[in-house]
Amino acid sequence: MKKGIVIYAHNNRSIDYALMAIISGGLAKKNLNLPVSLITDDSTVDWLKQSGKYDIACDVFEKILIVEKPKTNNQRFLHDGDAKITIPFVNTNRNSVWDLTPYDKTLLIDSDFLILSDNLNKFWDLDVDLAIGESINDIYNSKRLGYLDKYVSETGVKLYWATTVMFTKNENTKLFFDTVNYVKENYQYFGDVFRYDTRQYRNDIAFSIAKHLLDGFVETNIGRLPPVLSTLDRDILVSVDNNSLKFLINYRLDNNYCAASLSDVDVHIMNKQSIIRQSEKLLEMI
Amino acid sequence: MQEQLKQALDFSNYQHTFSIQKKLLKERTESKLTYGYSGGIFYINQTLLTFVDMLCQKGRTSSVVLLDNNQNPILIKDLETFKDEIFSRYFEVTNEYFEQYDKIKKSRSVEKLLDL
Repeated sequence: MKKGIVIYAHNNRSIDYALMAIISGGLAKKNLNLPVSLITDDSTVDWLKQSGKYDIACDVFEKILIVEKPKTNNQRFLHDGDAKITIPFVNTNRNSVWDLTPYDKTLLIDSDFLILSDNLNKFWDLDVDLAIGESINDIYNSKRLGYLDKYVSETGVKLYWATTVMFTKNENTKLFFDTVNYVKENYQYFGDVFRYDTRQYRNDIAFSIAKHLLDGFVETNIGRLPPVLSTLDRDILVSVDNNSLKFLINYRLDNNYCAASLSDVDVHIMNKQSIIRQSEKLLEMI
Repeated sequence: MQEQLKQALDFSNYQHTFSIQKKLLKERTESKLTYGYSGGIFYINQTLLTFVDMLCQKGRTSSVVLLDNNQNPILIKDLETFKDEIFSRYFEVTNEYFEQYDKIKKSRSVEKLLDL
């Protein structure tokens, strides 16, 4: 069975997701020693060419698959340390990965998830068809997280983190991704049932609801990948050297910072602008 | 007083960084002690090591079923080989943990902690 990694990247006017995908894909390819493919759109590829990164993309990715850019009304409020921006968020087509993946076994990761270890390789032979990141693991401590980082709503079900999703392409997983699509298309209805905020579409929620439905409406231990170690968007990636990432951690979320450095563990960096600022150094790591 | 306050704040910053570095080291160690085998996922700890060693001592070494982290039954065809692998992984990882932890303990400034 051919294993590989898939990353989606659809640029918007503020964030160069394609560049992030090159970094994320390059690190995944290096540390998991597996091929990586990119799912993107024409305008993002045009930008890759204009910005002179297309050749690197061709080196990193085994395949670059072009799809139509999803239309979205999703707006997202992002911090960059203490600065804030609102950006359009183009992420509503993840459920298409089942049809598009060129691999029999696929690890789908977000473009802001940097794989710095081979830990996820242990999960390929897991005796399940599909596994999802079981929770978020804050780099500082869980006190920085809210209830809605753990559950889809105050009265809803467990929130899984679709930052990492591993699946085998078969009829069971087709059913899963069809269900994700069904939840997406009926997001308001499921929002009424599970009481989540429907103003912004979140993959994590759609994946969690689909998993909950297909697990028989109960929480199970089956199909879980390790918690996703994360730095928040209020934290800042400040430097990269010798395979070590150094962060300023906004530990009380009040713009007081302490320092931290990290190597040899996988990390989800929610402050996307800080990844872009450090992109030259990160590209040296791939 | 100002100098004392500055020292206290510096120490406070050091303590925050110290606790993050300790947490990250623990995370790294735990992920290295997670062991995928025959479709199951095992966390290598004293309980697993002791149980497997006890089974081997009792002569139960072939086709043994163990429950993995998710309580799924996993067939271990050759328990002696499994035991050798988890013992060697455990000592390799915990020795590295000890060395790294010792370095963290001895680093008395934020800069030194970050350079480890």
